[in-house]
Amino acid sequence: MKYTFRSSTLTALALALVLALAGIAAAQDKTVAYPGLGLGEGSTGGTLTLALGDAPPRFFYYGEISQPIQYITQQMFDSLVEYDLETYDLVPALAASWDISDDGTVYTFYLREGVTWHDGTPFTAEDVVFTYDQIITNPEARAGDAAQFTFTVAGESRQVTFEALDDLTVRMTLPAASPTFLLQQRFFIMPKHVLLPYSVEGGAEPSEINDAWPTSVDPSEVVGTGPYRLGSYVPGQLVRLERNDDYWKVDAVGTRLPYFDRLELLIVPGTEAQTAQFLAGNLDQLNITGVQFPDFKSRELAGAGFSVIESPALFGSPPHLAFNFNAADPALAELFSQVEFRRAMEFAVDRMRVIDDVYNGLAELPGTPTAPVNAAFYEDTTGLMNMYDLEAAASALDALGLVDTSGNGVRNISATRDLEFTLTYGSDSAVFTDIATILQNDFAEIGVRVNLQGIQASQLLGTGLSGDYEAIVVALGNQPDPELRKPIWQPGGSLYYWHRATQPENPGDPPNFDVMADWELRIFDIFDQGSIEMDAEVRAENYREWQRLNAEYVPVIMIAKPGNVAAVYDTVGNFVYSLGVIPGYNPVPLYYRR
Amino acid sequence: MLVFVTRRIALFFPTLLLVSAICFFVIQLQPGSFTDRYLEDPRFSPETVARINAQLGLDRSPVEQYGRWIWGIVTRLDFGYSFFANRPVTTMIGERLAWTVVVAVVTLGFAWLVAIPLGIYTALKRNGVTDAVASFIGYVGLAVPDFLVALLLVALVLSYGGTNVGGLFSPRFIGEPWSWPKFVDLLNHLWIPVLAIGTAGIATVMRQMRANLLDVLHADYVRTARAKGLSERRVINRHAVRTAINPLVSMAGLQLPELINGTIIASIVLNLPTIGPLLFDSLLAKDQYVAMTLLLFASALLMVGNLLADLALAWVDPRIRYG
Repeated sequence: MKYTFRSSTLTALALALVLALAGIAAAQDKTVAYPGLGLGEGSTGGTLTLALGDAPPRFFYYGEISQPIQYITQQMFDSLVEYDLETYDLVPALAASWDISDDGTVYTFYLREGVTWHDGTPFTAEDVVFTYDQIITNPEARAGDAAQFTFTVAGESRQVTFEALDDLTVRMTLPAASPTFLLQQRFFIMPKHVLLPYSVEGGAEPSEINDAWPTSVDPSEVVGTGPYRLGSYVPGQLVRLERNDDYWKVDAVGTRLPYFDRLELLIVPGTEAQTAQFLAGNLDQLNITGVQFPDFKSRELAGAGFSVIESPALFGSPPHLAFNFNAADPALAELFSQVEFRRAMEFAVDRMRVIDDVYNGLAELPGTPTAPVNAAFYEDTTGLMNMYDLEAAASALDALGLVDTSGNGVRNISATRDLEFTLTYGSDSAVFTDIATILQNDFAEIGVRVNLQGIQASQLLGTGLSGDYEAIVVALGNQPDPELRKPIWQPGGSLYYWHRATQPENPGDPPNFDVMADWELRIFDIFDQGSIEMDAEVRAENYREWQRLNAEYVPVIMIAKPGNVAAVYDTVGNFVYSLGVIPGYNPVPLYYRR
Repeated sequence: MLVFVTRRIALFFPTLLLVSAICFFVIQLQPGSFTDRYLEDPRFSPETVARINAQLGLDRSPVEQYGRWIWGIVTRLDFGYSFFANRPVTTMIGERLAWTVVVAVVTLGFAWLVAIPLGIYTALKRNGVTDAVASFIGYVGLAVPDFLVALLLVALVLSYGGTNVGGLFSPRFIGEPWSWPKFVDLLNHLWIPVLAIGTAGIATVMRQMRANLLDVLHADYVRTARAKGLSERRVINRHAVRTAINPLVSMAGLQLPELINGTIIASIVLNLPTIGPLLFDSLLAKDQYVAMTLLLFASALLMVGNLLADLALAWVDPRIRYG
């Protein structure tokens, strides 16, 4: 047989070849595969419905610190770098690669080619510079992070500078080296061509940046580079996201992500309502807690068509018990400031019972406070902890001279005062309520009377910071690097609420070193050094010392580290647990309908 | 009549002012502040909180904040804006008003349509089996909180494999244009809040109707009507019920503010896109102008409802004259 190619066929073939080559050159796709997590290739199509715990107050990420906004933004926008879902390493996202100068002060990001905004406009270095320079470092942006880019060098406040070297290269110059700078670059990049009018560069007042994208905005104006674009919003009911057909991620065989055509975020506040919607099949997946585990597991075993999945958690908030070193009552303040007292009380904290009874076994002994799964920084301090032993607790309190002199079964601080205090907890959370009750009962056993005071869980940290409490159960989130939680754990930090006397009178001033104990001074130094030390080994060793100090001097008593628990219908493939709100950790584009 | 109405309307404004002042200062007494929500985020810094307080005017004294808010309302009908959503309060309320009215009207309508005939029936068949059963259900309905009924109904639906648990639509119909299947889907969801919220209302109205009618049934003019030889139906409908229903007219007026604050917990449990949960959230978050406007709105509705009830009463009951 003889084939004759007509010239038009040849032209068409040539054209196709050229287009294909151009496509390869222009789009610098990122291949995403996680065989280690058991993920495989999925198929495109279908609608995924997830729960959103509250209505979004707006769609502009930097206008409000809000979980629903974080959740939606994660699906619609990208950052320069992101987390590897398996190792939590930082991997390329909108930045295809980067260089760091030897002295650690100049970061050059080479942006991914061929990325477009949802409206078709090409994504360029101008957008990155605009996002950092006009939004994130605008001190009036309510959810910006100007402080992150202000360094104090030799007593002088200096700013990070941002420049676009060409269309796809961005240079950031730091006043001083910073070991966690790259980790911080999970900020979502915003479109300059849309948001310019709200910025100072576009002629607006600095605070007007917060006016961008209210919920009444035309959905087509909210453009990102992310896997989904905004389809529609029905106030208080549903956020509907549509697939971005030009997304820059592909799976191992080259299928473009995300797999689902449509992502529906059903607004369902409240655990009970979410559970009902999930069991009714209106939600494909739901993050639950160990408390709900038995109910879900028994339904799973009864053949409800979903699975309950558990894994150890890096993110998430382990609860702790804190005593107010600066309690309004001077006798209690003096007692609570003593390491010996806190160590004695630690004996009466039944961590294993909390893990078994409250979390139904889906939790582990906590770090102090680094998450055990965080291999880079975790120091196993369980050997230093005082584990549950009521007799040891009682004799330690005896040794402090806290004995029952009045014969009423409660120890006395003085002849006329019982050892009695109020324990504040979040009464709208089943976990906090159960923990508070367990503590109250065990403390009663050793002659310490506790009065429970329930408040809204969302008000706990605010109450802690106001100092208006005696003892309190609070849960604060873990992050991969302790530097990210510096305001919490560094004495004098803005969230170091159990010893408020260490905080400066005016924000920004040096802390009050005079009231710090020796171990607090050491922790202070560890955190200050952690912000500038570039050697990863040295940093890790320093932070390990900090965890040992925490275990030994118990500024707060860490109780348990809850694991990740999720319920997911068997028709959803490639499921990886996610809180949905951690910037740069987003497995949703990999989910598919089985 | 005109004098009466004018006087009542003139009284509205000082009352509302007093209500708003009390609400505002009670909200100020609540511990915590709007910016508490920012604290735990890694982006939080104390400087940001100071900036936000300045942007929102929270650094001014409470008296000044209140004064500015009232001045805005009086001079340009500006009810302030939501801290949280950064939008005028009125547009946020407007977004949810339609569904709030629909749910409230259907619920109240259902309660009254069931309760009044039931009240009449139980009064006429006093001490019978039906009376006993209806009264029992009435008492239970009054005693069990609406949100509990809601939760029980949801559990019941779930145990029968239903999917209409919470909200007003199935996810696939939300935001879609109206169609017959969407309307059916709405009805399929709506019966739960209507039943849950309506049950308590049925009990109240039914018992009131029954008591009123019993009072009237022994009145002289009813006996006279019978003596004239009127049919029993005519006696009951035209003479007894006509009089017995008057007190219910005043009751109806008092139910107007239920639109906003009558069913907050049930609305939250059932995840309804109504105003109740908005008020609840704004109070918790100290989103003060949203909370204040809604409370003001509720008191205005109460007063308007009261006035309308008085006027309606004058209209249905010829014995009542204002002047």
